[in-house]
Amino acid sequence: MTLLLAICAAVVFAVSVYLLLGRELKGVAMGVFLFSHAAHMGILAMSGQPFVKGAGGASPMKEPPIIGLGEHLVDPLPQALILTSIVISFAVTAFLLTLLVTTHRRTGTLEVNALADEDRPAPPSRHQFIATEA
Amino acid sequence: MGDAGTLTAMLLVAVFAPVLSGLATLALPFRAITMRVLVAFAGPAASVVCLGSIISRFGMDEGAVGVPFIPSINCNLDLIADPLSLFFGLLVSGIGCLIVLYARGYFGKDEASLRRFYPTLGFFATAMMGIVLSDSTMGMFLFWELTSVSSFLLIGWDWQNPRAVRLAVQAFVTTGLGGLALLAGVILLGVTTGQWTMSGLIKLAESGALLEFDRGLLIGSFVLLFIGAAAKSAQFPLHFWLPGAMAAPTPVSAYLHSATMVKAGVFLLARLFPILAVLGAWAPTLISFGATTMVYGAYLALRSAELKKIFAYTTVSQLGLLVCAYGLGGFEYSHGGHSEQNLIWPVMQILNHAAYKAPLFIIAGAIMHLAGRKELHQLKGLLKTHPILAVIALLAAYGLAGGPFTLSFTAKEAFLYQIVHAAHENPQLWIVGVLAVFTAMCNVAIFVRMLTTFIAKPTAEGRLEHDAHASSDHALPHDEGHEGGDPDRHHHESGFWGACIWLPAALIVSIQYIGGIAPGWFGRLIQGIETHTLYWEHLAEGSTLAAFGHLVQGEISAALMMSLIAMGGGVALGLSPLFRTPVVDVFNGLFPGVMRSTEWTGFHLFHVLQSGNLRHYVAATLGALLVGVAAVAIYDPAVLEMPEWAPLGHGGHGLRIIAIALAALICLTSLIMPFTSRRVVRVLVMGACGFSVTGMYLIYQAPDLALTQLMFEIISVILFMLVLRLMPEEHKVKYHISKPLRAIFAGAVGLVIGWTVLHGGSIADQAFGERLMAQRNAQGSQVIAVADRHADGHSEAYMGGFESTGDERLGSWFERHSYEGTPETHGRGGGGKNIVNVILVDFRGYDTLGEITVLSIAVIGVLSMLASAPGVSTRRAGDDPEHSIVLAGPQPKLRSCLLQTGMSLLLPLMLMFAGYMFFKGHNEPGGGFIAGLIASVALAVYRMAEGREALRRLLPIKPGTSAALGLLIALVTAVMPLVAGLPLLTSVNTHIPLPGDGEFHFASAMFFDIGVFIVVVGVSVGMINRFEEELE
Repeated sequence: MTLLLAICAAVVFAVSVYLLLGRELKGVAMGVFLFSHAAHMGILAMSGQPFVKGAGGASPMKEPPIIGLGEHLVDPLPQALILTSIVISFAVTAFLLTLLVTTHRRTGTLEVNALADEDRPAPPSRHQFIATEA
Repeated sequence: MGDAGTLTAMLLVAVFAPVLSGLATLALPFRAITMRVLVAFAGPAASVVCLGSIISRFGMDEGAVGVPFIPSINCNLDLIADPLSLFFGLLVSGIGCLIVLYARGYFGKDEASLRRFYPTLGFFATAMMGIVLSDSTMGMFLFWELTSVSSFLLIGWDWQNPRAVRLAVQAFVTTGLGGLALLAGVILLGVTTGQWTMSGLIKLAESGALLEFDRGLLIGSFVLLFIGAAAKSAQFPLHFWLPGAMAAPTPVSAYLHSATMVKAGVFLLARLFPILAVLGAWAPTLISFGATTMVYGAYLALRSAELKKIFAYTTVSQLGLLVCAYGLGGFEYSHGGHSEQNLIWPVMQILNHAAYKAPLFIIAGAIMHLAGRKELHQLKGLLKTHPILAVIALLAAYGLAGGPFTLSFTAKEAFLYQIVHAAHENPQLWIVGVLAVFTAMCNVAIFVRMLTTFIAKPTAEGRLEHDAHASSDHALPHDEGHEGGDPDRHHHESGFWGACIWLPAALIVSIQYIGGIAPGWFGRLIQGIETHTLYWEHLAEGSTLAAFGHLVQGEISAALMMSLIAMGGGVALGLSPLFRTPVVDVFNGLFPGVMRSTEWTGFHLFHVLQSGNLRHYVAATLGALLVGVAAVAIYDPAVLEMPEWAPLGHGGHGLRIIAIALAALICLTSLIMPFTSRRVVRVLVMGACGFSVTGMYLIYQAPDLALTQLMFEIISVILFMLVLRLMPEEHKVKYHISKPLRAIFAGAVGLVIGWTVLHGGSIADQAFGERLMAQRNAQGSQVIAVADRHADGHSEAYMGGFESTGDERLGSWFERHSYEGTPETHGRGGGGKNIVNVILVDFRGYDTLGEITVLSIAVIGVLSMLASAPGVSTRRAGDDPEHSIVLAGPQPKLRSCLLQTGMSLLLPLMLMFAGYMFFKGHNEPGGGFIAGLIASVALAVYRMAEGREALRRLLPIKPGTSAALGLLIALVTAVMPLVAGLPLLTSVNTHIPLPGDGEFHFASAMFFDIGVFIVVVGVSVGMINRFEEELE
């Protein structure tokens, strides 16, 4: 099942990178959103297979990380980390969306290439560096 | 208090008294100028008294005492009382006292300047005392940099003058970079030898164990330390900053840039002399740099016109001489049957320089102040117009020339004697002898020029200037300091405070003549602080004349001959018109040139690298990841092998089908996104992907995660929908697949991530499997421990050293301590059965605290940015609470009846469910986050169905306010245990029996969870509400 998660993480990650490299910011925001999904699945895989590998054929599922549910619990730490991450990525997404709204209102565009020229510093000129004498 | 305690206290007072008294002057009111001077004077005076009483009470070799400061990086306030440190300490604090008085004479009644000057001066004095009294090498570095900072402040005294600021920056950057070299040297030496104190290093060197360390590392640290010393002591080619530093007020020049701070480099070499002089590189390095500096400085001094410039360059020259002297000390020769180092009276050399250079600067400041002239040729007839100044200046300059009956004479003889001695064994060192003679000639010539200028008839111009000053005596307002662009012109007064402008010079210069006229007596006085007193025999007779007698005989005659040549040549040179036109040091352009090219390069690099295009940054970051992975794969092809443990496994039969279906769904939904640009489709597909991930969490036995993700997904989709409605729709459908390069790049990154996940998961599996096997086979706790350790060794190697406690996985540690404590945690447990929740609110509660803070910050960002966006300037009146009721009735929007009816039923149910999840959270799936998100979803949908006013009626406080409130509750809960003396976020558990069978488990972490709950509700509802308001 780790393989499944790995494939999912790979695909979602690839899609999110593709969107991040896109030309307009709405896609970028979605890319960031998907990015967190991929990361969560990656962390989740670190808790190992969700079942106990049996000696002969039988391989019972592990139990959720709640004390008293069974002998073999799933590793709780990745879950705690993901839980934190989900909430943080919610905050990041909301913030990013606000930035999108504000950017669109200020500049009238969401094209990455157009925005790049917006604040581009002027090319350096030699006149900027006046000879300093000691 | 024991002796060690007394010594520590006295040394600490000696170091910190100046800065404390300097700060104390800040507390004084204006118009208390005499008090101000006295308080400022008390600091260095206290240092002098402390050091003096250390000498009288403990003698010279009391040794080192330690005061811990930052022991983890070997940076301590270890102090040492040995001859070298005590001498330098007395020099610094003694001259410091006199400079305090001189500043009063120099600045006059300009109290605003004094108020600024004394604290800065005290700061410098403390830093300097710290350098000389430090035993810890790291501690010395710390004080070393502090002197650079204070020097910067003092050179840039005239902060409105761009030139002064530029020179201050030049001095600071040069000495600061030298300081970094020093730090590297100190660390290298410390790591190589394991010694972080000077006394330890000296002991090591004395026992001969030092040379057993790696010679290359020792030489490396020597070179680094020498660069630090050379930058501070203005050695060629880094000497340029010192003449530039003369932009400072003259008290500063006299104190920092002649007598004390520039000696720090020499002091460092003196400290290192017993440690590193055995290295073969010591002598050639120091001699070549020192001699070059010496002669170059002397030449430039001769070609300068301005008094302060002249003295600055002679200072450079003298510093070169001192470095050269320590270099010559690196040679050994046999004397009286045993081997001696070729170093003669080094401490006297240093004292000698301070004793004529400080007075020269003081007088230069006084001359500029009283006569208003900066350049030497303008000072004709000074002897008549300002006899006291002229006499003191000439007395000091005679010391500079090294004439007989001065301490300087003895010092110069000692230096020449050293050269002669070394040259007997290495004939090429005669070159140094020639250079030394030329240097001495220059010094004599400067004296002769001063003498002839001062006794010449005053020119009309000079007299006029003097009169002008006299008449302006009363014209200047009292509190006015700087007049025009000349920082040295000040109002002058008479009486004791007026005399302060020359009195310190007279006191200091007297050392020259006491030492020169009675060398025997003086020699005995300072013998205790000398380390190398070979020349002593020749001085012990009691007078310079007797010394002459000895000098004429034997090998010393060569030194005397050189001295005589220098004097004769110097007089001739001084009278001749040669070398009179001023020249500018070519190295003055070095620093500005380097700065300019650095800025220029940086600007161009910035322009190339910072394109401002998001796509470039993303590509660069991920490209670096790919390159790194490729490099690892080439270096270690094993990472490309398939993991051993079959990743698909054989278990979870029924669930496997579901898992495969879910995975297919995740992949498919996400893959649709690039192929469509219709925003509704995209958001829905994105949501579908998220819901499939939720299913995956369930398969991985993570109910908490699944619940959170579900709610989060709902809120996110709502958010996206709202925001996208605020933006224009795309013009037409674009198929981005026409960018194959982008797709290949993204695919490669995805592959790398997937591969990493696969390996990570397999390692975790392997660890679990090995633990299980050990458990089944041996059933002994020891074996489990071993297997745990083994397994963790693997995972650590791959997971970048994820820290585990003892022999077990971090997860199992949480598992054991989640509910009940063990002796390991002093019997304290988390008191909850839901391990994930306990981790969040207890074990890693600090993280959670940070997290909800981030949430609150995000909501602040959202609310404030939307408020400030230009579009909001056309706000409707409905946003104001006063007007909102008026507009509440006729809603401009059509609302879904279905949604309204549904929500009126669902809202109470969902809120109740949220409450249930909240209270259940500590022992079963649930908790503050989940409950908060459920409540948020309920409220958000309710808001959509019923509008703003309905929400406002339901929630009396604003969502933003409630986020702040929740954060406050969480913070208070976190801090409360501190009041009881427990660590932050400690949880207290009790069980409250309930009627009937049950009991209510209560943990104080619950209040923390309440805080989390309120923050989550406030933040998510606040955001959604705000976006909806934007739409309305």
